[in-house]
Amino acid sequence: MIFNTFLKETKELMREGRVRIAFFIVVLLLGIAVWISARQYQNVNEQYESATATERGLWDNQGEKNPHSAAHYGTYAFKPKYPLSLVDQGVDKYAGTSIFLEAHKRNEAQFSAATDQTGLARFGDLTPDFILLFIIPLLIVLLGYNSFTKEREMGTLTLLKSQGISNWKWMLGKWTALFLPIFTITLLLFLFAGILLSSLKDFGVFNWGSLFMMLLVFTIYYMIFTNIVLLISAMTKKSGISLVISLCVWIVTCLAAPKAASNIAESKHPYPTRQEFAANVLKDKKEGLDGHNPWSKEAKLLEQEVLKEHGVDSLHQLPFNFDAYRMQKGEEHEAEVYFKHYNYLKDQYTKQSKVYRSLAAISPYLPTRFLSMSIAHTDYATHWDFADAAEEYRIATQKFLNDNFAQNSEYGNWRYQADAEFWKTLPKFEYDPPELNAILSRNSSNLWIMGVWLSASFGFLAISIKKI
Amino acid sequence: MLSYNFKYELKLLLRSRWIQLLSIVLLLLFSFSTYNGLQKVEKRKKDIADAHLEVKENDEMMLKLLDSVERGMQVSASRWTIPTQPMAVGNYHPRVAAMDPQPMTFIATGQGDLFTHYVKPKVSGDDFTLNFAEMTSPVQLLFGSFDLAFVIIYLLPLLIIAFSYNVLSAERESGSLRLLASQPIGIQTWVLQKLGLRFFWLSILVIFTLTLVFFIVGINPFSQVTLFFGLLALVITYMLFWFALTFLVNLWVGSSSKNAVVLLGLWVVFVLLVPSMLNQLGNTLYPMPSRTIMINEMRTLKAEVAERQDEILDNYLRDHPEYAINDSTQFRGFYHRYMASQKLVKEELSPLINAYEDQLKKQQSWVASFKWVSPSIIVQESLNQMAGTSTQDYESFRKQVIAFAGIWREHFLPFLYNNQDFSQNDYADLPKFQYEQKSFATFGVIPILFLISIGLFAVGFLFSNQTKKEGILASN
Repeated sequence: MIFNTFLKETKELMREGRVRIAFFIVVLLLGIAVWISARQYQNVNEQYESATATERGLWDNQGEKNPHSAAHYGTYAFKPKYPLSLVDQGVDKYAGTSIFLEAHKRNEAQFSAATDQTGLARFGDLTPDFILLFIIPLLIVLLGYNSFTKEREMGTLTLLKSQGISNWKWMLGKWTALFLPIFTITLLLFLFAGILLSSLKDFGVFNWGSLFMMLLVFTIYYMIFTNIVLLISAMTKKSGISLVISLCVWIVTCLAAPKAASNIAESKHPYPTRQEFAANVLKDKKEGLDGHNPWSKEAKLLEQEVLKEHGVDSLHQLPFNFDAYRMQKGEEHEAEVYFKHYNYLKDQYTKQSKVYRSLAAISPYLPTRFLSMSIAHTDYATHWDFADAAEEYRIATQKFLNDNFAQNSEYGNWRYQADAEFWKTLPKFEYDPPELNAILSRNSSNLWIMGVWLSASFGFLAISIKKI
Repeated sequence: MLSYNFKYELKLLLRSRWIQLLSIVLLLLFSFSTYNGLQKVEKRKKDIADAHLEVKENDEMMLKLLDSVERGMQVSASRWTIPTQPMAVGNYHPRVAAMDPQPMTFIATGQGDLFTHYVKPKVSGDDFTLNFAEMTSPVQLLFGSFDLAFVIIYLLPLLIIAFSYNVLSAERESGSLRLLASQPIGIQTWVLQKLGLRFFWLSILVIFTLTLVFFIVGINPFSQVTLFFGLLALVITYMLFWFALTFLVNLWVGSSSKNAVVLLGLWVVFVLLVPSMLNQLGNTLYPMPSRTIMINEMRTLKAEVAERQDEILDNYLRDHPEYAINDSTQFRGFYHRYMASQKLVKEELSPLINAYEDQLKKQQSWVASFKWVSPSIIVQESLNQMAGTSTQDYESFRKQVIAFAGIWREHFLPFLYNNQDFSQNDYADLPKFQYEQKSFATFGVIPILFLISIGLFAVGFLFSNQTKKEGILASN
């Protein structure tokens, strides 16, 4: 009986022009979106490769130079693009791609794509995630809004009731008929993306596990939508009303809730402005040791400490260059200041995330969006992770340079120049994004919310179907 | 007939509680979005005021320090931050270059969450390192803001669609179309009247609720008469466009559900697809040069310049003989070399910077010529311009700041190369930034959009022969 209902519904859908057209359009759009994203992905990665290589070349060929001059000269860390960004671009457009690593200063990632585009960019992009998150749920609404109401309107409900079919079997048939075509499109897209990605050269950290997890997330998302649409269709009397209500749900879920969430999150837990942030950092920096200032109170204190520790009475007698040593201590103090202030930003963001999670109660879009971005390595957390790794590398680089300065010269010798070959011995910056398991455990609350949505929507559907 | 229609339609709308429902929905949407917009404006104002205050406090400290130094007293500040050195003033006491919000800024966030509203340019560093991007969580940028512009561009058309997708088909489906067909009125005229009345009522509701919301949140809309009426005219013309589409769909399509699907399809096309495709096409046709490659070029250039610092300084001084005459000490330190090479870097980098400006210009003109493909783009652009948060506004701000940064730098050069100390007397002469507010708001698009909508109505009238031939009672 489930199968019969399924067959009948599918036939009906296939015969209708609107379904065929809608399907065709969605598949076409997905094709275009994947093509555009794949091109962009390749483009960005080529640029990344060449930029990283050129930057390293500049660093390696600095010639003879004082290590601290080299520290000020600095280097860049570039953020790579990850394979699954092909499916979900996430916040990539709005997050910077390059971080300048220099002495004394932690810099923000610069140059996001959005700042280089016109106001039109704010409408969003035609990318696979746009289709997956917005258009396919809309398709579910359009395909399923009259699933039950049409039985009432055509008068077939009475006939059906006389058949002795149990309601849940009937419902399951309809559910499968609505869900299966959607699932098929999604599956095909992910298969296609998987094949495309594994055929690309140097596809980096792509693994089928992540792709499968993403497919699972979207499958659950569509199940929830299917449930909601069928629930509304079962509870309303007229197709028109069912359509309007389903659309309202779609608008609230996909359009209104994310925007409202962003407004609430910002007004409750605001970020400081860029200038404010810089001023706060500067204030804290001033309160500690400045590596360049041998006359400050902190510097004198450090001097005495070191002299005592080594049992000598002049800085010249120390076995290392105290200037460089002080530079390193100053660097450590500054690193701590940055750590504190960036942690404040992170705290604000964690609080903002809580707002997003609490609004997930009215919108399954939110947990889906966050999960899919996370798995694709295009979310804000990965960006933080990258920025932190770059900062760690910056601190290590400073130590590497200051140590060389301290060990190879004596106090007061600012003319010391490191060997031209020395720069090549600095380890390269490597960044590996978090593994799938780490991502999933970090997003466990989002997974929970989706689970609750799924079971609650199934539950309500089961209850409502009894009342028909 | 019109008066009958009018009376009947109003009764119908009231009894089906459509008017009541719409008023509440509009009131809620408008007040929530206006509130959000105002909050952003408040924060912006506060941030700028704080920045000015901070500079004022810093200036007082600087003047005190200067006073102490001029009287020959010992000061406890680090050697290179003492403000008798011109470069210390230029670097540690920058001015605030702020972009104050305009009276209607709350209606559209536009690019306001992406770009910063004040910067403090210093003498060292180059224009390139001036970061105009604001520190915002990218998640917020991705989701966008629930502002008035969002309600108008995205939600209002959906309300119109829900309000009138089945004007004709409902009559057919409930069987009252046969009754109507016996009346002495053409079907197009009848649908037009019915939609016209709905348009009329919705316009009244929108004008009324919008004005009410403005008053509730404490803005007097009549203090900005041109902008406020411009806003109303724009919104109503945009609504007219969507009513024109529903008119066509009502005439040409068929059953209620088909109408709804087609109208939603049109909404997706106009509001979501066309803008994003246009943007992507613009980016493909006029791609921004890669920023990562740019960094490489800049670094290579700077590395070269650093090696030739002494030579550059000599050349610079040769070009500026006045410095050699006025200065008796002829002392040349780090900053003398630095500022001279910085000038050279700036000159050499300018083609690179211009490349970005040019591409952005080309993208903008591309958008300008194709924006007519979707009224949503026109409305978004116009609202941003009215709010003063459009791309052009931020571009203008950026240019003004860069010009000011130049003035700021130039101001200290004579001090530097003459090896002249900065003194209390020089404080009053420090350049100040004054943001010149240029309004990019244009109302020229409104009549054109109006004509397009009227044209759509006319098309409906002229080309619905199908229904004439087969008769409106023919089933679809």
